[in-house]
Amino acid sequence: MPRKNQPQPAAAPESFAFVRPGMSAREIVQAVRDLDGVCLTSVSMRDAGQSDFKNRHRFYDLQTLAPTFNEMGLFSAECHGGARWHVGIMNRRESPFEEVQMLRRMMPNVLLQTLIRETNLWGYRPYPKNVIEYAVSNVDIDVWRCFSFLNDVRNMRTVAETVMKRGRLLEPAISFTVADWATDAYYLSVVRDIVALCGGVDEIILCIKDMAGVGNPARISQLVSTIKQHYPELVIHYHRHITDGLGIPALLAAAQAGAKIVDVQEDALVRFYGHPPILGVQAYFEESGIHVHLNRPAAETANEKVREWISHYEWAESPFKGYDHGVTKHRMPGGAFPSSFEQAEKGGFFHLMPAILRVMSLYNQIVCYFDVTPGSQVTWVTCSGIVNRYAKEQGEAGVKRLIALLSKFVEECAQDFSAMNEAEQAEMLQLFRSAPGDFKNLLTGNYGKLPVGWPADWVYQSTFGDEWQAKIAGRTEESPLETLADDDLGKLRLTLADAIGRNPSDEEFVLYLMHPKDAISFIEFREKYGYAPLALPTDVWRNGLQRTGQKVDFMLDGKPYCIELVSVGAEHEGMIHVVLKVNNVTRVYPVATPRAKATEVRMAKGPNDVGATINGNVWRIGNPKRGALHVGDVVHKGEEVANLEAMKMENAIIAPFTGKVAEICVKLNDIVQEGQLLLVIEKE
Amino acid sequence: MQRSISKVLVANRGVPAVRIMHTCRDRKIPTTAVYSTPDRLAYHVRMADTAIHIGEAPPIESYLNADKIIDAAIQSNSNAIHPGWGFLAENADFAQKVIDAGLIWIGPKPEVIRLMGDKIRAKEIAKQSNVPTVPGIENVTSAEQIIEWMQKERVAFPIMIKAAAGGGGKGMVKIDTTEQIAGGLAQARSEAKKSFKDDTVLVEKYIEHGRHIEVQIVADEYQHVVHLYDRECTLQRRNQKIIEEAPSTLESDLRQEICVTAARLMRRIGYTSAGTVEFIFEPSTQSFYFLEVNTRLQVEHGITELITGLDIVSIMLDVAEGKPLPIKQFDVVANRSALEVRLNAEDPKTFYPSFGTITHLRTPLGPNVRVILGASEGEEIPPYYDSLFMLLMASGTDRADALRVMDRAISGDLRLEGIKTLAPLLLSLIRHPKFIAGDFSTKFIEDHMQELVSGFRERTGEDEMLRVARYVAEISALGPQGWM
Repeated sequence: MPRKNQPQPAAAPESFAFVRPGMSAREIVQAVRDLDGVCLTSVSMRDAGQSDFKNRHRFYDLQTLAPTFNEMGLFSAECHGGARWHVGIMNRRESPFEEVQMLRRMMPNVLLQTLIRETNLWGYRPYPKNVIEYAVSNVDIDVWRCFSFLNDVRNMRTVAETVMKRGRLLEPAISFTVADWATDAYYLSVVRDIVALCGGVDEIILCIKDMAGVGNPARISQLVSTIKQHYPELVIHYHRHITDGLGIPALLAAAQAGAKIVDVQEDALVRFYGHPPILGVQAYFEESGIHVHLNRPAAETANEKVREWISHYEWAESPFKGYDHGVTKHRMPGGAFPSSFEQAEKGGFFHLMPAILRVMSLYNQIVCYFDVTPGSQVTWVTCSGIVNRYAKEQGEAGVKRLIALLSKFVEECAQDFSAMNEAEQAEMLQLFRSAPGDFKNLLTGNYGKLPVGWPADWVYQSTFGDEWQAKIAGRTEESPLETLADDDLGKLRLTLADAIGRNPSDEEFVLYLMHPKDAISFIEFREKYGYAPLALPTDVWRNGLQRTGQKVDFMLDGKPYCIELVSVGAEHEGMIHVVLKVNNVTRVYPVATPRAKATEVRMAKGPNDVGATINGNVWRIGNPKRGALHVGDVVHKGEEVANLEAMKMENAIIAPFTGKVAEICVKLNDIVQEGQLLLVIEKE
Repeated sequence: MQRSISKVLVANRGVPAVRIMHTCRDRKIPTTAVYSTPDRLAYHVRMADTAIHIGEAPPIESYLNADKIIDAAIQSNSNAIHPGWGFLAENADFAQKVIDAGLIWIGPKPEVIRLMGDKIRAKEIAKQSNVPTVPGIENVTSAEQIIEWMQKERVAFPIMIKAAAGGGGKGMVKIDTTEQIAGGLAQARSEAKKSFKDDTVLVEKYIEHGRHIEVQIVADEYQHVVHLYDRECTLQRRNQKIIEEAPSTLESDLRQEICVTAARLMRRIGYTSAGTVEFIFEPSTQSFYFLEVNTRLQVEHGITELITGLDIVSIMLDVAEGKPLPIKQFDVVANRSALEVRLNAEDPKTFYPSFGTITHLRTPLGPNVRVILGASEGEEIPPYYDSLFMLLMASGTDRADALRVMDRAISGDLRLEGIKTLAPLLLSLIRHPKFIAGDFSTKFIEDHMQELVSGFRERTGEDEMLRVARYVAEISALGPQGWM
């Protein structure tokens, strides 16, 4: 359903396209092996936007690159998966299915690539086998880059089988980090598992996923060489973020050691947490004697295209500017950087970021896994939670103490719990008590086994309190593929049908399987606003029309339309009237403002008025002893007349004097604000 | 006796008022509109030459208020009243009052209206005129009585036992076999006793898969009675017609028979002006039975006009002026096929009325389309009156041709915003294979509702444009949103 007037892909001399959709996995692998020099994967349509622009790059703009990509001679274009999926339906209101369909038409020469999180697919929790099979079979993607945040290859089995059975190319990834335990021998064992799972090296490409950008050139060169020594025929694809500032030399080092494919993005897209710039990489590689398979003029055109629209996304850029070599310690992946900082900004704890990053760098030595989705989310929520709690309860000094405590434990005492004094031990045993559920799930093995073993017992004590031994006893090392029972897809589909009032398409159902709440809200949005997310240019999408006479032209189904702003009226009783000329016909749109409701709130003012003491939810009117309260009832001074819940806390509202209830001004489950009138009591 | 109509007061609103004013304008006869308070700015008021306020919103205070309407005619120097359809159209007392006030009544004589308003007498007269009526037997007390009657009158199953005092389905039992008769009779009598304190029951033949066929008649005071062929009004929801076609799908010899039969009945009762004889047709036996006479202009008269090229309202004016019919039976040539759909302001799934403002209205144009519009863009559909606000008709050389035109009219040009209409259901209906094949009965809509509703979701480019425009309006008013 392309809604914009598409430039048709050129009739294609195609001299640069050396792999194409429709080729078998084996043919693609062979074509890469046979290629002179290295080739490139462009992550501009996915990871570039995710790492520096919170995944807000709209298809409207990205599609301008497609005709050029079609001629560029890329190995593949990563345009799907990761968090682009979720942000797409939640924030951009675009469906990943539409994107793939349109890209297929606009760049038929290019292999489309996704990023998939083994059992967690494009969501954040392990899915049962039948959901994985269903979702993977319904997505039209050529190259399936699949990683495990635990490097637990067992978890990839269902994805691998489904992809390979469809004849598509699987690109299993090893999650890469730099740590004393992350040795060549360790990675080789992961590669061995992958090769065994995939039945050899002829139908897969191996990805080394350096999602934080921590592999220094020497380290990565050594790893690639080691793997090549053991598996000379295995094609290696290096994916690396540039957060530490060493992106380009690291890519070159990998290529010199034998990697055949590296990830790049348009130079104009490069900020701080994404990937090396395509033109710079090409120039540097060629200068260093490594040929890059690339239609350079086309790549230059693509870069110019980016310049035309990238200025619309300044608002989405990370507030944390500049490279960060500290990433080698805290290891926050490029993809998680902007969203974490966004949360910190929204949550009002941006100033705590340095402390949180420091705590992360200590935490990831206590609980060892790879900081990439969903692991990076677990790390972030756990560490930011702990730091926030200390800041709230004990202020800045408390945060300093926390860091001192953890530094002493990790750096001085080499994680010997008994070396800590009693008070410190007591504090550490409380550290993870309010950790998020996903952290607990991780410790009990719900995601699979951790790469270098379970954390020490004190972590369990700290997390689970008295239940810690039971939790350890119940911990499983099995893959979630073995432990999770299949979902009832028929029943889930009916639930979705109920929610949207019609039968969902297969694609809508996949969206729902990954993100139930957001998928429904996406479907509802699109029912209401149709193709607005695909048809409107980005400035209008974000800001609307801002002055009288401003027009927006757009295409739907190959036909031109025009909307012109006539006027935006003043707000009156929560309504604004907008007058538009829609294809020359004047239309008036009443728009309700968020203030529409606020104006109706009655506040407690008079002496007989009982008001809300907090912002909260009215979950009881009356009290358990007397039951519900009614108009005309007599209440006694000190008696509870209502109860408000906020943040899971109950707050009793007490009658200030004895009297008769004259009016009850709220209903059960109303959300009330502080001071809002709840009831009126008349003195007897 | 010839009399001249100098000005017509139309005692109606909406579609019928507009329809009658069209012909008056054709004949250069000035018109007077009457209106209730909420109809102050209604389309029919604007269309008339003069307009008189006759009361508040409730029909009883306005459009059913006979005295006020007659006063309005006198006050506005109108010397004739056309009642349209609905409201006072079949009210014999009103017709008499109009005549008594010295005004010309554009419609059948009050005594004929009264006679045909009595359904039992109407059936008796039909029987006397050799018009087949649904076979029945009254005062039934035993099964033998029923069996005897069925043999004598050669009535085939199914039959229906009904409480004589009945209504609302109480005391009604359908019988399919001889064995069921005794039990069914006992049940019907017992239910009748409980519900109406009267166990008198009657038995009638039950018409299965019945189709509703009617014949348009025009007649003058010189005993000329001419039929304008038949119409099919089988597609109904809640006993209200929503799609009509002319001619019906009857075989042409049967059509001849039913039309002549209708004319015979109307001649017999001394009918004048325009009227309709309704029949129920049983396909399995190819039999038709008299139901009733509608002593007024009907909603669906327009499709008869399309297939005959005549103006029925104009003929009514002629007859009211004491002129003979402008045509003889021989002149009436129905050589086309036409279809009408009723655009009611209703939810097409639930049939709940959808009141509100028509924010945008575009009527279909193009070859072979006829529209009668009872309201204009920006008007409000008030909750007090009938939900019909637009009639859409299509014609063609044959039924398939007319269906194609109707499809184009509904799916292509028609555009209505602000209120819900039956349009999606109507489109779904005319596209249904069984409807296209002419294979349907009065129960068709209820039996196929699920299927019909599933055909609703058709997005047009215009809908899509408006979705985008709604988004632009909201963001222009509210600025960037938190969810972005």
